[in-house]
Amino acid sequence: MNGNHYNLNLKDILKKVFFVDLIQGLFITFNYTFSKTITLRYPDEEKWIPYRRFRGLHTLNRNKEGKELCVGCELCQKSCPTQCITVVPMQDKTGKGIADRIAYRWEINLLRCMFCGLCEDACPTEALKLGREYELANTSMQRSLWTKEELLAAQEIPVEFDGGVIVRARLERDDKGLKVIPDMSVQKRWW
Amino acid sequence: MFEPIILKNINVPDSFKIETYLNNGGYQAFKKALKLNTDTIIQMVKDSGLRGRGGAGFSTGLKWSFIPKDPTIPKYLCCNADEGEPGTYKDRAIIEKDPHQLIEGMAIACYAIGAANAYIYIRGEFALGADRLEDAIREAYSKGYLGKNILGSNFSLNIYVHRGAGAYICGEETALLESLEGRRALPRIKPPFPAQVGLFGKPTVINNVETLACVPHIINRGASWFASIGPAKSPGPKLFGVSGHVNKPGLYELPMGTPLREIIYTYAGGIKGDRRLKAVIPGGVSAPMLIEKDLDTPMDFDSLAAKGTMLGSGAVVVMDERTCIVKAALIIHEFFHHESCGKCTPCREGLDWIVKVMRRVEHGEGKEGDIDLLLKLCGDVFGRTFCPLGDGAVMALRGAINNFKEEFEYHVKNKRCMVNGAGR
Amino acid sequence: MATVKINGKEITVEDGTLILEAAKGAGFDIPTMCYHARLSKLASCRVCLVEIVGQKKLQPSCVTPVMHGMEVLTESPVVKSARSSMIELLLANHPLDCPVCDKGGECELQDVTFKFGPRNSPFGERKRRFHEEDYILSPVIIQNINRCIQCKRCVRICDEVVGASVLGSIERGAKTGETSFVKEYLDCDHCGNCIEVCPVGSLMSRPYRYQSRPWDLKGVDTVCTYCGTGCQLTVQARNGEILRVISKPDKGINNETLCARGRFGYSFINSHERFVTPMIRKGGTLEPVPWNEALKAIKDGLTEAMKDGRKTGGIASGRLSNEELYLFQKLMRGVFKTNNIDSGSRWNTGAVKSFANVMELNKGGISVYDALNADTLFIIGSSISDENPITDYLIRRLSRNKKMNIIIASPRGLKLDSSATLSLRHRPAAEGDILGGIAKVIYDKNMDKLKDLTGKEHLKNISRENIPDLTWTDWSSIESVSGFMLSANSITIAVGNDVLRGPSRIESMHILAEALRLLGKDVKLFPVFDRANQRGAWEMGVHPDILPGYSFRDGDGLGSEGIIDAASRGEVGALYVVGEDIVSDFPDGGFVREALRQVKFLIVQDIFLTETAKMAHVVLPGASFVEKDGTFTNQEGRVQRLRKFIEPQGDAKADWEIIASIGEAVEPSFHYGSVSDIFKEIKGAVPMYRGIDFEGLDGNGAIVKGSGIGGQGAGVVAGFSLRPKSEVRSQEQETPDPEYPFILITGNHLYHSGRLSLKADTLRDILPEAVVEMNEEDAKAMGVSKGDKVKVKGDRYEATLTAHINKRSVRGVVFIPENFTDVPVNMFFTKGKGFPRVKVLPLSSLSPQGRGPG
Repeated sequence: MNGNHYNLNLKDILKKVFFVDLIQGLFITFNYTFSKTITLRYPDEEKWIPYRRFRGLHTLNRNKEGKELCVGCELCQKSCPTQCITVVPMQDKTGKGIADRIAYRWEINLLRCMFCGLCEDACPTEALKLGREYELANTSMQRSLWTKEELLAAQEIPVEFDGGVIVRARLERDDKGLKVIPDMSVQKRWW
Repeated sequence: MFEPIILKNINVPDSFKIETYLNNGGYQAFKKALKLNTDTIIQMVKDSGLRGRGGAGFSTGLKWSFIPKDPTIPKYLCCNADEGEPGTYKDRAIIEKDPHQLIEGMAIACYAIGAANAYIYIRGEFALGADRLEDAIREAYSKGYLGKNILGSNFSLNIYVHRGAGAYICGEETALLESLEGRRALPRIKPPFPAQVGLFGKPTVINNVETLACVPHIINRGASWFASIGPAKSPGPKLFGVSGHVNKPGLYELPMGTPLREIIYTYAGGIKGDRRLKAVIPGGVSAPMLIEKDLDTPMDFDSLAAKGTMLGSGAVVVMDERTCIVKAALIIHEFFHHESCGKCTPCREGLDWIVKVMRRVEHGEGKEGDIDLLLKLCGDVFGRTFCPLGDGAVMALRGAINNFKEEFEYHVKNKRCMVNGAGR
Repeated sequence: MATVKINGKEITVEDGTLILEAAKGAGFDIPTMCYHARLSKLASCRVCLVEIVGQKKLQPSCVTPVMHGMEVLTESPVVKSARSSMIELLLANHPLDCPVCDKGGECELQDVTFKFGPRNSPFGERKRRFHEEDYILSPVIIQNINRCIQCKRCVRICDEVVGASVLGSIERGAKTGETSFVKEYLDCDHCGNCIEVCPVGSLMSRPYRYQSRPWDLKGVDTVCTYCGTGCQLTVQARNGEILRVISKPDKGINNETLCARGRFGYSFINSHERFVTPMIRKGGTLEPVPWNEALKAIKDGLTEAMKDGRKTGGIASGRLSNEELYLFQKLMRGVFKTNNIDSGSRWNTGAVKSFANVMELNKGGISVYDALNADTLFIIGSSISDENPITDYLIRRLSRNKKMNIIIASPRGLKLDSSATLSLRHRPAAEGDILGGIAKVIYDKNMDKLKDLTGKEHLKNISRENIPDLTWTDWSSIESVSGFMLSANSITIAVGNDVLRGPSRIESMHILAEALRLLGKDVKLFPVFDRANQRGAWEMGVHPDILPGYSFRDGDGLGSEGIIDAASRGEVGALYVVGEDIVSDFPDGGFVREALRQVKFLIVQDIFLTETAKMAHVVLPGASFVEKDGTFTNQEGRVQRLRKFIEPQGDAKADWEIIASIGEAVEPSFHYGSVSDIFKEIKGAVPMYRGIDFEGLDGNGAIVKGSGIGGQGAGVVAGFSLRPKSEVRSQEQETPDPEYPFILITGNHLYHSGRLSLKADTLRDILPEAVVEMNEEDAKAMGVSKGDKVKVKGDRYEATLTAHINKRSVRGVVFIPENFTDVPVNMFFTKGKGFPRVKVLPLSSLSPQGRGPG
C-alpha cells in the first residue's frame, strides 16, 4: 500500500471530466429556485412577529375600562438587576388608574436593560409586560429613555396576536431612527 | 322529690317584696352572720364546698379568702348578673322572683370580705329584674339591712345596680370590671387576679347570682348540711334550666350530680312527641354537646369535665332527632362571632373565619376540605385566646363535629341537609 | 435575680423581666405586633405566644414575667405553629394591597409574615371592608381601617403619651375598627405618633402619601431645631428632596415620639420663598450680588458705619448651632471689640443673667429622665404642652405608672393638667411671687432649720394677704404646693423661659431651692426652653454679661434691649443680626422698627426675607438645619449632633461659614475650615464641653458637665428684693382698667415655633391663621364661641383673629401666639410696660348687620 496512496480509478476520472459534482451542486441550487423561500426579506418587505413569550420593549397596560393598571408600587424598580427603571408614585383621585395611586413617572433606560423580565414577574397588577417590539436601535442616547406616556401607548403588535409568523412590512426611516411597519393582514409561516 | 332551697319562695305571691321574704325567714342568716367572725364565715363557706355557679366552678370560700385582710384597703364585691349564655335563665328567676335572697347573700359576702360597696352588674335586657332589684335594695335600706351601721353593728354597705349594655363578654369577670369602670368591655390580663387588683384597682370578689343566693342557706343551716347535698366534690343544690325539645321545659332545682337522663325524662317530661334524643348541651352553648349514650352522666362539675364537656351555667338544651346539627352549630357560632369582643386575634379573626365557612357548609356551598379546615381553625383558636370565650366557642364546634361528623360531611358532599333533606 | 432556661440556654435576668425581653437577651427573636415597650401591655395579638414547660396553655411572652427556674420554649413546634396560625389569622382579613400601601417595605406585619408566617393560606372568603375611600383624619393623618390589625398601639400612644385621647375602637368583635369617633378632622396634636407606632399601613402620613418607597429613601439622624427638648429625628429624602421625617424607637430622649412641628415642619427647607443669594441694598431695593461683592460691601460698610465712635452690636438666634454662636461672639468680641451681643430679643438681658444663675446652668446638665425621677415635679413659667410637646409627652408617659405628684403653675390651661395632681392658674408674670410664696410657707413651717437661709429677709414682703392680689392664686393652693414639696424626698422644679418675658423676679427660685436643700431634699432644677439652642447660646457666651462657659461679668455690654435703645438714639453704627427676626420679636413692634431705621449699617443673615431682613442693607443667605453640620445643646444640657444632609440651596452657605468669612474679610487670621475645628476651640474655651467627643456624638448625645467656675448664686439674690415698697408696679399695669379688661400674653403655639414654621406649608395647613385663646367663661360672657372672629384691641394696635377657647385658662388673660406674620403680636406691646392690656370685641357686635360673609 505504501507509495500508492494517490490512487485514481476510472470512475473518479470520469466524474471529473464531466463536472458531475458541479452539476450536482448546481442542481441543488437550481432546485431551491422552485422551493419555498426561508430567508426573511427583513426589513424591507417582511418582518418576523415573535411569539408572546418574547421579551422586547416594555409596555404598560390598561384594563378593559381603559384605566392604568400600574399603581406605582415600585416593585419593578426594586426587582431590576440593572437598576434601569425609575418609578415615582403619586396620588390621583381622578380615576385614571385602578387605584388612587398611579405612577407619576415610570421610566426605563433601555441602554442598561437586559430584558430579563424580572420586572414583569414582580408586577402585582400585570401592568407591566415585555412586549414584542424589538427595533430599538437608534442614533441618540436620549431615545433609549422611555417614559410612561410612550410605554402606555399600544404597541403595534396587539397583545391578543399570537405571533410566530412573518408578516408583510415596510421600512420607514425618519430622524428618530428606523422603523419596520408590519401589515398584520398578510401573514405567512416561516416553516 | 327534692325540696327546693333557692327556689322555695318562687311561687309565693309577691315573692319579690321584702315582707314576703321576711315572713319566710329572710335576713335571719345575715343577722346571724353579723354576730360571727368574718374568718368563721369564710371557713363555713369553704367547708360547705360551694363552688361558683357561673361556670368555672371555683371554690367560693377560697376566692373570698384571697382578699387581703388589711382594713384600710377598700374592697368590692361584684355580683355577676350578666346572664348572657344562651339557654340560661336561672339568675333571672332569682333576681325577678326573689331579689332579697341575692341581697342577703351579697350582704353576708361583703361582711365576710370587708367590702363596704357592692355592685350588681345586671344584663341590660333584664329590665324587670333591674327594676325589682332596685326596689328591693330600696326596701332593704328602709328596713335597715343596707346603709350605715347595719343593725347596730359597725358594718356599712351600699349596693348599686349597674345595667349592662348588651355584651356577652361582660359576663367574663374582668371585662365586667372594665365595663363597670366605664370603659370598653374587654377582658384584662390575669394575673393580677381581681382578688388583688380588681374594680378601681382594688381587691374585688366577683360572684354569680346563684352562688350568692346559696350563701344565706349555708349560714342558716350550716356548712355540713350544704355539703351533704349531692356529690362530695361539688355539693349543693343547682338550678337547671331545661329548654329545647322537651315536654316540660323550665327551671328545676335539683341536687348536684342528678343524672342528665333523670333531668330530661323525669323532670322535664321527656322528648316532645316521643322522638329520639339526638344531642344535648349540658351547660350553656359553650359546653360541647353530649349524645344519648352519655345521658347517665351525673350533672356535676367533675363528671362532666371527665366527659370533655362542662356544667357551665347548667342550661340544658335538648335537641331531638329532627335537629340539623350543622344548623345548630352555625346558630351557636353566629352568636359567638357576634359577641366576640375583638380584643385578641384568634377569637376575632378565627371565629369570623369559622362562621364564614360554617355558613357555606350550612347553605350547601361547602367545599371539600371544609371540615378539616374547621377543625384546623378550632385548633388555631383553642387555648390561645385571651379569655375563655374563644375556647368555649371552638369547644362547642369541635364537640359537634366529633359527634356528628357524617352529618357535616353530608352537607358538604350533597349540598343539602341530612336530617331535613331540604336542599337550600 | 431569676435564672431561666430559654430553649435550653440558661440566662439570669432581673426579677420581673418579661419572657420576651429575656428571650431577646438570650438571642431568640419572638415576633410581636401589639407589644410596645413604652406603652401599657395589651397581650391581644397572641403572636408572641411561647411554651412554658409544665403549663398547658401557651403564654403571651409580652406580659408574662419570668420566674426562677422557669423553662421556656420559643421555638418548639407547638409555638411555631401557633405563631404561624396567629399570623395567618391576622392576614385573613388584612387586605393584601401592599403594592398601593405606603407601609409596604417597612411593614411589621409584612416582616413577621415573611419570617414566621405561613407560606399559604386556605382563606378564600370575602375580606372585611369598612370603607372604600381612606378617611382623612387631619391635615397630616389619613386612615385606612381595612388594614387595621387592632393592636391598639395608636389608641394607647394617643391616650397614654400624647394625652389627646382622640382615637378609640368602634364596634366589637370582627367588626372592631380603630378610629376616631368623628369621621372628620380631629381636634388633636397632629403629632403623627399614631402613624409612627402603627405596625401596618392603617394610619399614614398625608404629606408623605404615595411619595416613595422606604428603600428609596436616604436618611440622616439629626436633631430637631424647633424647641429646647432636642428630639432626635431622621430626615429622609429621595434624590435630594426631603419627603418625610420619622423618629426611631431607639434614638434620642424622644424615642418614637415627635410633635407636629418636628414631624411635619420640614417643608420650609424646600420653600420657594427662601432667598438663596446675598443681596445688597442699592437705591432702596435689595439686589442679588455675588458673595465677594457682598463681603466687600460689608467690610466697607462697617468701616463707614463705625466712624464717629458709633456702636456696633450683634444679635444671634438661639436656633443657631453652638459653633456658629461661639464664632459669632468671637467675631463680635474679638474682631469688632464689643460686648454688645445677645441671643434673641424677646427677653430682658438682666433677667436672663439671673435665670442662668438661679437655674445653676453652669453646674452642668441633667438628663430629663433623671429630672423626672422625682417625687414631686413642679412646672412653672412654661406652656410646656405647647412649647415643648415632647417634654410634655415624656412627663405624661413616665408619670403614668409612677407615684409622682405633678404640679403645674401657668396662666394658660395646659394639656398636661389632666396628668397633674394640682394645677395653679396665676396672673401672668407672677411666677416669682408664687415661688416666693412657696418658699415663705416652707420657711414659716421650718424656721428653726432654716435659720441660715440666704435671702430669707426678702420673704417678708409676701404674705397670706397680698398673695391673691399679686398672683390671683389663693394662699391655700400655695400651701398645698408647699405641702407636696415638704412631703417629697426629691423635687424637680422645671422653669420655662416665659419667666423671662415679664418682670417675674425669678430670683426667688433660688431661695426656694436653697430652703428645700437645707431641709435635706434632693432638688433638681430643670430649665425648659422654646429655642433649640438657647442654652448653647448662653454657654457659648452670646450675652453681654456672660463669657463662654458661664463666666459672668458686669460690663458695659448692651443686650438686645440696650442695643435697640441705643439704635433709637442713633448711636448704633452697625448691627449684625443672625437668624433672628427682631422686628417681629422685640416686645414693641413700632419702636424697634423706628430704631432699626436709625442704624447706619444693618446686616441680616437668615434663610427667609424676614421683616428685619427687609430693612437690612445687606442680607446673607444662611442654611437650614439639614444643610449644615454642628452641635446643639438642648435644655437638659445635652449636646447633640446636627448633621449635614443636603447641600445648601443656591448660593446659600452654612451660617458658620458666613460668620467666618465676614471675620476673615476684616481680620485675615479669623479663619476656620470646618465645624470640628471650631468645636475643638470651644472645648478649650468652655470647660463644660471638654469631655465631649464631637465625632463620637451618637443618638443620645452627651450631657455637659459642671465646670465649677462662674456662678454667683447667692450673690444674685443679695442684689435684689422680692417686692419692695417702691416696686415699679406701673410696669405690670396693676390697676384693672375697665376699658381694657384682658392681659395679653404670648408664646409659641403648639403647631408653630418662631416665624420659621409658618413657612412649612404642612404646618400652615394645620393652623393657617392667627388665633386668640381665651378662657371659656370670658368667652361665654361675650357670646364668643370657638371659631368666631373677634377683634383684639390694645391702645396701640388691633387685629382680627379667630377665637379659641381654653377651658382651664385663667380668666382675664388672652393668649395670641407670636408666630403669625399677619398678626404681629409684638405690635400690642409697649417697651418697658410689661404685658399689654387689651379688649376683645366679638365681631358680630361690631357690625350691626350681623356677621358678614367670611
